[in-house]
Amino acid sequence: MWHALRAELAYFRPYLLGGLGIASGVILLLSVLMRFSNDADGPPGFVVAIFPIIAGMVVSFICGSLRVEERRARLLLSGALTPRQLAWLTVLLPACFVGLSVLAVPPMIGVAALVAGKLEPASWPIAGSFALQFWAYAQLGPLGQESCAARRQNRGRAGLIGWAVFAGVILVLVACQLILRSTQGHLLQVMAVITAMGVAAMLYQGRTDFTR
Amino acid sequence: MADHHLDAVSAASLSGLTKRFPGFQLGPLDLVLEPGTVLALVGPNGAGKTTTLNCMAGLVVPDEGGTEVFGEPVHATRTEYRRNIGYVGEENGFFQGWTAARNLKFLADLLPGWSNDRAKRFVERFALPLDKPVNKLSRGNKTKLALVAAMAHGPRLLLLDEPTAGLDPVVRSEVLDVLWEITEDGEHAVLYSTHVLSDINRLADELAFLRDGRLVLRSGRDELSESWRQVSFRLANEDAELTGVVEHRRVRAEHQVITREAEATLQQLADLGAESIEVSRMTVDEIAVQILKEGHHVARAES
Repeated sequence: MWHALRAELAYFRPYLLGGLGIASGVILLLSVLMRFSNDADGPPGFVVAIFPIIAGMVVSFICGSLRVEERRARLLLSGALTPRQLAWLTVLLPACFVGLSVLAVPPMIGVAALVAGKLEPASWPIAGSFALQFWAYAQLGPLGQESCAARRQNRGRAGLIGWAVFAGVILVLVACQLILRSTQGHLLQVMAVITAMGVAAMLYQGRTDFTR
Repeated sequence: MADHHLDAVSAASLSGLTKRFPGFQLGPLDLVLEPGTVLALVGPNGAGKTTTLNCMAGLVVPDEGGTEVFGEPVHATRTEYRRNIGYVGEENGFFQGWTAARNLKFLADLLPGWSNDRAKRFVERFALPLDKPVNKLSRGNKTKLALVAAMAHGPRLLLLDEPTAGLDPVVRSEVLDVLWEITEDGEHAVLYSTHVLSDINRLADELAFLRDGRLVLRSGRDELSESWRQVSFRLANEDAELTGVVEHRRVRAEHQVITREAEATLQQLADLGAESIEVSRMTVDEIAVQILKEGHHVARAES
């Protein structure tokens, strides 16, 4: 499974680098504008932090749809991978893209601070909350795909469970943004994301058609 | 003793294989494929050929029944059977943005039993360009890549879904030659679906005809060639019911029939006193067309 995961990450590396490049461009532009508008505070640190994470999330969506379009499951199931391993590969990819994009946050904040002259201190709880939200959206991609696949393959109950969890995760995310902007809220979001990953993996394993 | 056991195991056996979709049911299918056999799965679009192959490859889970490949049960959760299967479908899941070489390198680490020497031999045989990204390869080259990927780990059963569709005559001939050579040792088996009826003559030694998800007929190529004939004759008796006739054209006393039981029909014609009997052989693809037309009539009558 790790061999396949490494291959998928290598295959989508140009997409991730492209996404991070676009995010860097936006941050640079924002920083330059802030500098010349004599804004004393500079761009908000948490805004700078979320651009690369958004890039990671978008790349995870592109990855999900391209893997379906290229029928990757067919290739991987010709080898020694089991559907369970393939399921975990599918749900781990978005986490990897978001995780790798988080690594790009510190250098981008540094560059923005250099260009703008000054950076409004990042509110890390807010930045963390947004990061968790985008990770959750990224993980909802495979969950949505598997819920649709379950309905298409006449696994009605599995499809319903998938969509129920999908809706539940969205509700948790909204509640955490509105009410629980705290460590407990973050923990709740992490639990929601892990639940989404687990249910997506279970639905994948229960597939009756691996041709897509 | 071990060799004897291996000899006794069929390359693939389908027992009661059934898969239901809204408005379509495949099966129940019962089919046994012996090592050393090339079986062509023939049928019109939507007959269930691809679904059959997908079930055999473990990509589609049947609703009932199952498949064994060299004695190993095919199930999505198991991997043992896969070392014996090489599968070529219409889409093969390659990394489209990577070169053919990089895809093969990835597969070399993924597929147990992969032999770089074997892969290199097939690449050279097919003159496959390795340095182009897969999405820039022609359809023929994509098929060649899929064949190399399917054969390089040394599977004993090849499942090929329309392997020659869209190939130019030279490449098609080369692909058929390779498939023929693979089965010559008597240990390998090939099951391939096709629309290209001329391929049947060249490669298949057995044919299975699928129509609306059901197996209409399974027969050896030579048996079909021996039993089907086109017969023209003169016969005054217009009401004569002839055994085995699937198509009958008549202009006054001149008759032209296609029969699937040549011996019985000719005996009957002799008994009825038919004159000017002329018998001509039919090619396997002509016979296949007749069988599929006949299956179509049966399906229409039943519906």
